[in-house]
Amino acid sequence: MTAPSSPDASRNIAALAPGLSAEVAELRRRLDEAEDTLRAIRNGEVDALVMRDGVGEDVFTIGGDAESYRKFIEAMEPGAAAVDDAGRLLYANTALCNLIGAPLAALQGRALAECFDARAAADIAGLLAGPSNGRRSAEISLTAPPAAPASPPATDGARHFTVAAMPVRLGTVSGQAVTFTDLTERVRAEHAERAEQVAKAIIASANEAVLVCDRTGIITHANLAAAQLADGPLVGRDFDEAVPLGFPFGVGLMGGGDLLALAAAGGSIQGIEVIARAAPKVQDYLVSAAPLQIAPGQISGCVLTMVDLSARKAAEKQQLLLMRELDHRVKNTLALVLSISNRTLSIEDTLEGFQTAFTARIQALAATHTLLAQKSWSNLSLRDVLAAEIAPYADERSGRVKLVDVDVDLAPRAAIALGLIFHELATNAVKYGALSAATGQVTVQIAGRSPERDALRLVWSESGGPVVTGPRRHGFGRTVIARSLGYSPNGAADLAFPAAGVICTIDIPGEDLA
Amino acid sequence: MSADTAPRKLVLYVAGQTPKSLAAIANLQRICAEHLPGRYAVEVVDLKQQPHLAREHSIVAIPTLVRELPVPLKKIIGDLSDTHKVLVNLKVEGE
Repeated sequence: MTAPSSPDASRNIAALAPGLSAEVAELRRRLDEAEDTLRAIRNGEVDALVMRDGVGEDVFTIGGDAESYRKFIEAMEPGAAAVDDAGRLLYANTALCNLIGAPLAALQGRALAECFDARAAADIAGLLAGPSNGRRSAEISLTAPPAAPASPPATDGARHFTVAAMPVRLGTVSGQAVTFTDLTERVRAEHAERAEQVAKAIIASANEAVLVCDRTGIITHANLAAAQLADGPLVGRDFDEAVPLGFPFGVGLMGGGDLLALAAAGGSIQGIEVIARAAPKVQDYLVSAAPLQIAPGQISGCVLTMVDLSARKAAEKQQLLLMRELDHRVKNTLALVLSISNRTLSIEDTLEGFQTAFTARIQALAATHTLLAQKSWSNLSLRDVLAAEIAPYADERSGRVKLVDVDVDLAPRAAIALGLIFHELATNAVKYGALSAATGQVTVQIAGRSPERDALRLVWSESGGPVVTGPRRHGFGRTVIARSLGYSPNGAADLAFPAAGVICTIDIPGEDLA
Repeated sequence: MSADTAPRKLVLYVAGQTPKSLAAIANLQRICAEHLPGRYAVEVVDLKQQPHLAREHSIVAIPTLVRELPVPLKKIIGDLSDTHKVLVNLKVEGE
């Protein structure tokens, strides 16, 4: 059969009846349109058809009514959408429309990714453009708050979602089902848990005792250092009862409960000395209290830190002792200086003589003080004291001075007294005794225990010097020698003047020997 | 009346929010914006709402774009994803 629409047939018809030409052209156009329609249906380019019956027209959706999948999407609790292969939004449920903050009518046909801020858009676009052979997901964060948030933002101010895409067939088109699952609550819980862990770690690692109380005064947290405040566990107990505090300096607070009340009212208290009466060991503490704010303007309790003051108290006691000791020593030294001054003045005939003798004696005193200061006023060795006083005139290397068995430690008061005695003996030896002659020698040696008292006997003996004659008068030097060790009944010094050389027998009090 | 000043009108027939209907709307907006800015008045007819309007242009398949003016009337069936095909069909004589 020849096709009626072939060009040859049309020309033949037109030639036969020109009036039919327009009708044929119209029939041909309608045929082309019908073929075009069939081709479009066959190729899946349309998804609805207009059906006509005796009553009128009706629209029939190819591939099932879209309403079914829309109802399914709408019923989903997470935000959900259907997009075509180009990522255009075909349908979104109310949850997703709320999340985006726009009605469905304004969103349909738009690229889904473009409905979000730039960062989330890139993530969603990448997700939708990925290989469509299975479920894919990505996590996104939305910083711009939606009009009606389903949940408050996480601590970082953002809302977090898992976006999942799954290929689906929607009628005649292939597309993707996309869901937005709100993870904000989970992320917030994770942040809160991490923050809690960090807070616990901070409290636990603090050297000070740290206690957290709720608004009713019940201890909710206590670190390891707080265990020393009371016997037994602290958490769960009333603070005032578990850690009763005394206020030695009467700051007007009646008890620990008042500290808590002040802190819970938003006040902050720093560095108040308290006595933890129930603490088994250390009781002196410095307490500070501050409100516990878990959110701006929301006080849920208070945080107490208690610093162990025992070391500071001990240091204060030591300092007080040292100050008293220093006062005592300064007074003693001043009295000694005054005595030296008076006695020197009474002996010396001239001002120059006074100046020379007084200065030398003060220097002798200073030498011993220097040694004591270097040793922080602890014990000094007898050898060091001797060396310091004799050094201006001679030393062991010259062979003029011989120190035998003098490695004995002395208390400070004995060191000062012996320093003065050795100074007087040395200056006397230089002026009149063994050290005034070229061959003279001084020997200082320990001669064992004193037979008369609890003391160690030390003998200063001179030899090789000029023949000794006893002094014509009792000078200050002899007074110093005789009296310096008189602070103790076990101390004494006796000076003898045999012709061969001066001998000084010194008893160092036993209680001043280390 | 010159080709530039002759009235031009496109009517896009859709069926509610079917995927192809939504795609056709988006594609037509894009094509008009990119290739035919300001040259056509566009009317979108939702046959789901007003099925009787299908009769005017004897619409059978949806979506269908009808170039109503200038004559002759032309129809493009499908979601208009083939931009070249759309532009060829909308080409006005003398342009």
